[in-house]
Amino acid sequence: MTVKFRVERDTLADAVTWVARALPNRPPVPVLAGLLIEADDNGTLHLSGFDYEVSAKVEVNAEVSDPGTALVSGRLLAEICRSLPGKPVDVVTDGTKVALTCGASRFTLLTMPVDEYPTLPAMPENTGMVAGDVLTEAVGQVTVAASRDETLPILTGVRLEIEGDTLTLMATDRYRLAMRTLTWRPSSPGASSIALVRARTLAEVAKALGSADEVSLALSTGGATELIGFTANGRRTTSLLVDGDYPKVRALFPESLLTHAVVETQSLIEAVRRVALVAERNTPVRLTFTDGLITLEAGQGEDAQASEAVESSLVGDELSIAFNPQYLLDGLGALSLPFTRLSFTQATKPAVITGQASADAEDDDDTYRYLIMPVRLAG
Amino acid sequence: MRLVIARCSVDYAGRLTAHLPTAVRLLLVKADGSVLVHSDGGSYKPLNWMSPPCRLEESDGEWRVVNKAGEELRITLDEVLHDSTHDLGIDPGLTKDGVEAHLQELLAEHVHTLGNGWRLVRREYPTPIGPVDLMCRDADGISVAVEVKRRGEIDGVEQLTRYLDLLNRDPLLAPVRGVFAAQVIKQQARVLAEDRGIRCVTLDYDALRGIDDPTARLF
Repeated sequence: MTVKFRVERDTLADAVTWVARALPNRPPVPVLAGLLIEADDNGTLHLSGFDYEVSAKVEVNAEVSDPGTALVSGRLLAEICRSLPGKPVDVVTDGTKVALTCGASRFTLLTMPVDEYPTLPAMPENTGMVAGDVLTEAVGQVTVAASRDETLPILTGVRLEIEGDTLTLMATDRYRLAMRTLTWRPSSPGASSIALVRARTLAEVAKALGSADEVSLALSTGGATELIGFTANGRRTTSLLVDGDYPKVRALFPESLLTHAVVETQSLIEAVRRVALVAERNTPVRLTFTDGLITLEAGQGEDAQASEAVESSLVGDELSIAFNPQYLLDGLGALSLPFTRLSFTQATKPAVITGQASADAEDDDDTYRYLIMPVRLAG
Repeated sequence: MRLVIARCSVDYAGRLTAHLPTAVRLLLVKADGSVLVHSDGGSYKPLNWMSPPCRLEESDGEWRVVNKAGEELRITLDEVLHDSTHDLGIDPGLTKDGVEAHLQELLAEHVHTLGNGWRLVRREYPTPIGPVDLMCRDADGISVAVEVKRRGEIDGVEQLTRYLDLLNRDPLLAPVRGVFAAQVIKQQARVLAEDRGIRCVTLDYDALRGIDDPTARLF
């Protein structure tokens, strides 16, 4: 049975590139290196990839002459599509081969047996809708704090908590904790569930689907396979959930904060970056908060040293505290507002970073909170 | 082991030609016949050398080291400053730092890192093809064979697969599941292990040793 269709080069290249990203680098079964092409009667092309954990599927329009299915090497197809000239692409199968013609270029690819290809998991029922830009921002804000250490698989995930129209995302690597709450449209008003999704997968999803106005989120928990799915713009992706008990991290936020300082976010980021240049691996930047000023210092003794002062306002007692510069920058960089509020209890206890709209605003924005553990200073 | 310190120049003729101008150098003549020319630097690497099998011909002021391929190392000695020979006896060989053995011991003490309610049956559980590192029972009482490695590579997975194959023939033990535990697990090894239904666990040596400082963390 032959398959024959014609599709625009850019449409095909975008679709194939996205699906190919989900393909495994080292497929345990050769067919998993394949990208499944299904052309149907209605002039739709379905492209899919799967690695048993994450699946990706995209639909694009094509002029289908002969509908059917073919499985070809995804990586090779992606590379070919990226390099093709900007002309319509004709694809025809011929026995065990696929011929791809675009302008004067012609490629012949080997096919793999379609019947050996696993069935992609079904998309769970829609749980709710979230705006694409909000999802992208929120995912970016929390994934910075997720662990990359495979010894603690649970902490490489982002925890999602759904409670009515509030969706909370959180991630921690035990040195910092990022938590973002946002409003979404659940499909049922009393929605309540939790899920743990690998941070890397979630970041990929946000990158691929974030440009959509709305992303549909689908969750199936409690069944035999625990799955999360995202759909937008004709693209859908599913991922298995990470199992395990997520630590009770909400309680880590201090109940009352005694001291807080407000500073312009961008100038603090730049100052930390400059001062951190002399902070060697695993050495902190020290911040001293006095009225009207934050003094940043790094390096000590025989090593290179740097210091800088940034204007700020202080409410509460003066305080000296030290942080891992990268952890501090991750938190500051995740804020979406022009001013930063740094709140403390003691120099040895975790500090909270939040954004606020103006220097003299009464309240900070508590939809995003970044909790950071200070580094204990010697002596 | 013969140690000679001499002012010498060296010429090598073989697959390539090399020349070392006159300078004071250390010449090592090892019991296996190899000859190495060292300068006072460059770490473990000799400037020039000849691997065994080779033959040393000494004549007045000149050494010729020749191997079967006809390659030749010619050392012209201007002045010998030191010449001594020591019998080093038999070398016990290099032992690894013992991390792997220590990991096995630590994991045996902290079997719960593998799962809640796990019990250790014994370390070095015998099989006809050699002992498997740990034999445990999980919370449901199912036997689990654990192979502990410092670096988890393909051959470790193969080794565990062979143990599992044999252990599963024992009706009193079967079914036996496998856990491949290592400080780092190579992606290839992980793919192979998971494809065979073997669970991969990355071990945190510092945490197992208890030298991790929880006060530096949030929790």
